[in-house]
Amino acid sequence: MTVLEVCDGYFSYGSRRIFSGINLELREGEIIILFGPNGCGKTTLLDCILGIHSLEVGEIRVYGKSMADYRPHELARRMAYVPQIHERTFPYLVREVVLMGRTAYISPFNGPSREDHLLAREAMKDVGIESLQDRLYTQLSGGEVQLVMLARALAQRSPIIIMDEPASHLDFRHEIMLLEKIASLVKERGLSFVIATHSPNHAFYFENNGIPTTMAIMNEEKIFAMGSPRSVLTEETMMKVFRVDSKILSYRTGRKKSGAIIPLATIPDGYDDK
Amino acid sequence: MTVKKIKTLKKAVIIAVLIAAPCACIVISLFLGRYPIHYADVFPLIWGKISYGAEMTASIQSSVIWEIRLPRAFLGALVGASLAASGTALQGLFRNPLVSSGMLGVSSGAGFGAALAIIMFKSTAAIYICAFIFGIMAVILSYLVGKIYNSAPAIMLVLGGVIISSIFSAMISFLKFLADPYEDLPSIVFWLMGSLASVQGHDVLAAAIPMLGGIMGLMLIRWRINVLSMGEREAKTLGIHVNMNRAAVIIFTTIATAGAVCISGIIGWVGLVIPHMGRMIAGNDNRILMPVSISLGACFMVIIDNIARNISGGEIPLGILTSLIGGPFFIYLLRRTRGGGW
Repeated sequence: MTVLEVCDGYFSYGSRRIFSGINLELREGEIIILFGPNGCGKTTLLDCILGIHSLEVGEIRVYGKSMADYRPHELARRMAYVPQIHERTFPYLVREVVLMGRTAYISPFNGPSREDHLLAREAMKDVGIESLQDRLYTQLSGGEVQLVMLARALAQRSPIIIMDEPASHLDFRHEIMLLEKIASLVKERGLSFVIATHSPNHAFYFENNGIPTTMAIMNEEKIFAMGSPRSVLTEETMMKVFRVDSKILSYRTGRKKSGAIIPLATIPDGYDDK
Repeated sequence: MTVKKIKTLKKAVIIAVLIAAPCACIVISLFLGRYPIHYADVFPLIWGKISYGAEMTASIQSSVIWEIRLPRAFLGALVGASLAASGTALQGLFRNPLVSSGMLGVSSGAGFGAALAIIMFKSTAAIYICAFIFGIMAVILSYLVGKIYNSAPAIMLVLGGVIISSIFSAMISFLKFLADPYEDLPSIVFWLMGSLASVQGHDVLAAAIPMLGGIMGLMLIRWRINVLSMGEREAKTLGIHVNMNRAAVIIFTTIATAGAVCISGIIGWVGLVIPHMGRMIAGNDNRILMPVSISLGACFMVIIDNIARNISGGEIPLGILTSLIGGPFFIYLLRRTRGGGW
């Protein structure tokens, strides 16, 4: 079942075109990885998908219904967001922040109910941050805040989760833990993810773990290549898009075929090897 | 079951304390004042009016309590509560702990309105109405300035507020410059320093309505203020209509603050310092912070007003006392939170 569709998306800031001709389709229990160099329009595309900006041309459909027809709370019940940078202003407790994930279910003049508290606690348990619940979230590390944001998104109980560079603040172990968490949410709950990332190995990770993964490589305002990570992440692509010399590894773990990428060196601008 | 019971009990106790504290402050202020009323007579005088009605007890003492001390304490409590609630809400809305209730220009707008009324009409009612209208007008202008960049992000609203405030301040100075230096100028200056001295029994209700309305509105949407304080992007993805909720917060704070400023004059610090006292006591969750701020603001204002009218022969303007007490507290706060959460 298709949960999210971007059809022929075009967006510009004034006369500066950000992207055009974007087509994406996300099905239930799948992951789309958005990958591309800085300034390729990934974040703006995420903003459009989240309804913060609207496309100038084209349409975004969530569960077959056009984005423009959604009210904010309806959209939030379908789609949650884990920001890359969360700017912390007031020292809220962790559990208060996670509870805000329930907002879409709370009527305008009310506060969260007992059930909302329960679901928030469950979300914290799912992410493994129960022990942090009474801490001030301003005193947590960047990686811990990332987990709080994930818990908040899970408390939202929406089938689609949008993540912007979720691993950017995480240490080596927490990065893998986060990927494992995402993988299990896809497998066990059938959630779907759109993840913008700077790490191509994230795409390999999900593919290696048997999750239907689509990699969309954005470059110069367009989708440069789209398909399974193993088919689009090639040494040639990395050279063209990033001007990076790299090596793709292909190996077997048990009977599973797996992939990974190792960067070797940057190629100076203007140097043409072929 | 027992945990649940303890929680409900704790909640009941907190609510009782939050309501009882300002009531206690109001009752205490009935005993204080320069007109000599023996403390033992206060309760009989109150009872007398309640049980026998107005005609039976038309003594000076009775009217001092019923027409002067009680309305003044009651409106003082509402003024403090309004300023504190508005400050709390605007800090959350603008995600900035240094924002105060006058951020969007209400205070200077109201000040201008009052100064204009003092010069042109010289009646107390005209001062109330003019101050109220110009206070609200200033916020509308700030909002329009903020909207010139069509997206109206929070920072542009703040800028709009700063600009409109400074324009109205300049116009206040201009009116002072024009005003008759023997009659109007002193009235303007005293009004701007803040006082509850002009409060009279018969206009309590009319003056209370906007403040009560604003406070109640903010109480109703206090959970949404939490969500707004996560920032525009996140608030939207969490499922609220950001512009609508932001407008609601601005409308309620404006009504409450304009309602307060038009009867009390400009009282600094309450809308900035009281929310911070609340944050220290109750944390930052507006579900509990908002009622705590309201209660604290009410108590603080009644206490300050009691000091203002009893400490010396004349009345000390409230703006002076709140700043004298608020200023050092703010410095203490800055020291305390350096390197802390914000």
